[in-house]
Amino acid sequence: MTTALIAEDEPLLRERLVSLLARLWPELRVLAQARNGREAVELFDQWHPDVAFLDVHMPGMNGIEVARCVAGRAELVFVTAFDKYAVEAFRQGAIDYVLKPIEEDRLAETVQRLRARLQTPAISREPAWDATLERMAAQLREKLVPKPWLKWIKASVGSTVRLIPVEQVIYVKSDNKYTMVVWEGGEALIRKTIRELADELDPDRFAQVHRSAIVCLDRVSHFTHGPGDSGEVHLKGRTDRVAVSRSYLHLFQQM
Amino acid sequence: MSFVSPPAEADAGANVPSHRALPSRRQLIQVVVVALVVAVLLRPLVKNPFVEIMGEALFVAMMLLFAFTAAGAWRQTVIPRWMAQVAAVTAAALMSPFIVQMLTFGGDVSAFLGSRGHVRGYFLVAAVAVIVGTFFAARALSSERARGRALQDALERETLQRQAADTRLDLLTAQIQPHFLLNTLANVQELVESGSPRAAAVFRSLIEYLRAAMPHLQDADATLADEERLVRAYLHLMQMRMPDRLEFSVTIDPALAAMRFPPMALLTLVENAIRHGIDPSCDPGKVEVGARRLDNNMVHIWVADTGVGLSEHAGQGTGLANLDERLRVFFGEGTRVELSEQEPHGVRADIRARVPA
Repeated sequence: MTTALIAEDEPLLRERLVSLLARLWPELRVLAQARNGREAVELFDQWHPDVAFLDVHMPGMNGIEVARCVAGRAELVFVTAFDKYAVEAFRQGAIDYVLKPIEEDRLAETVQRLRARLQTPAISREPAWDATLERMAAQLREKLVPKPWLKWIKASVGSTVRLIPVEQVIYVKSDNKYTMVVWEGGEALIRKTIRELADELDPDRFAQVHRSAIVCLDRVSHFTHGPGDSGEVHLKGRTDRVAVSRSYLHLFQQM
Repeated sequence: MSFVSPPAEADAGANVPSHRALPSRRQLIQVVVVALVVAVLLRPLVKNPFVEIMGEALFVAMMLLFAFTAAGAWRQTVIPRWMAQVAAVTAAALMSPFIVQMLTFGGDVSAFLGSRGHVRGYFLVAAVAVIVGTFFAARALSSERARGRALQDALERETLQRQAADTRLDLLTAQIQPHFLLNTLANVQELVESGSPRAAAVFRSLIEYLRAAMPHLQDADATLADEERLVRAYLHLMQMRMPDRLEFSVTIDPALAAMRFPPMALLTLVENAIRHGIDPSCDPGKVEVGARRLDNNMVHIWVADTGVGLSEHAGQGTGLANLDERLRVFFGEGTRVELSEQEPHGVRADIRARVPA
């Protein structure tokens, strides 16, 4: 008797898969149903099913990461909605997949393939999971994890922590203890230091102009030289200015 | 890419359809006609028999035409093509009557120069040739340029139209969101096939949502009540998909129902709450949507969730910048979405807008 595990975060879809499988593959026993990736791995280790149906988009750990954990220990089928990248990866990897909404005919084909594969002895059914899964996981990660530059700055305003979109930041200035961010909606204090921000802010859009100041380049209207080796950055539509120290004068050489 | 670049810029056959070295039949016919007309006009001024006048006129005209087309086909980058053509026409206008005179005198330049009548005749023909030649050359060049510009305009228009169509398509796709739709329908399918009594209600919500999701961006008549309906439909659909993970409440002051509001603005915030807050969480969460009136003509609208919260690096297309822009246009400068963290986890979006009394 063949056993199976289903991992799907949406209960209605879980039920649908269960009832369809009951019709198409009555001998299959669904041992466990997981609601997310972590549960899937736990239940897998607990029950050791022969087959696992894995939804790709699940909270916490996604289906592909689950697959990497359990690869080689069961026949895997991914369940996914229309997602070009995923379908392509699956096609390449020759791991079976079923599209959501699940069509009975398509599931029947999958069932046939699974049954055929389970007949053959374990040794001969050893595809190169690792490479394929790693590639798919990478693709999935690329989709979910954006560029590494900071998108939000968390700042204290009164008793709340505000999330300031980086696009609205005009400049950041620091004094002894705190760093202050000046943005379209006002000013706020943050804990990060100028040095940390200099590393995390997109250098195409932000430039450090002073040991204690970073400016958003789009907000700069012009630059003026000051006495000695100093200068000031003037900001569009504002009266306040940001001092530029000698070490950073070269940035404005062209202006 | 320009079809025909304006004469001033370097082109000389660069990215221009290559000019034929020989004139077209139409041009030949036109030139012959002009030559005949000129000959007829010149007749009373000169003593030569008409045949001779006509012969010279035709010859000079042909030389001008060939000079014009040859200069047009000549690939050089030293001077602009139009300049080369005008120069060639002028040169031909000065030279061809001279050639005729040489033919008459058998090459004897001094004899020619000695005859005042012939010299006068030369200058007459040369002058007419220069004037008529450059006039027609200029006309031909300007109509060519106009044609080129028309083509360029048409090309630009078509490109813009295509870009606009692409943008509309992107917008439509973003609003309809096939992924969301397919997932929702998958859920509905199960309800229907299992004969669940909830199916009807869910369908209603789906229809409500789709209807509201049709491009309404220019809709200046959208009210907060419309937005409430849309948001309720959406949350209801989402709850169907994750019943154990989503709770929601919508408390909009009925007095604000008729207030004008940018369409789909509230929905954007609710979508973010679900997609970035509730969905990624394994634990159950709650979404609260509210709107109330504050003192001094201010309205406070909020969407709060108890999801995973916003990481500093998150933010793929939360549509916030766009939303801020629309709020600014609707309610005036300074109106924006203010995001803050919720304790113990989650995000809260607040809008404080000034409304007319």
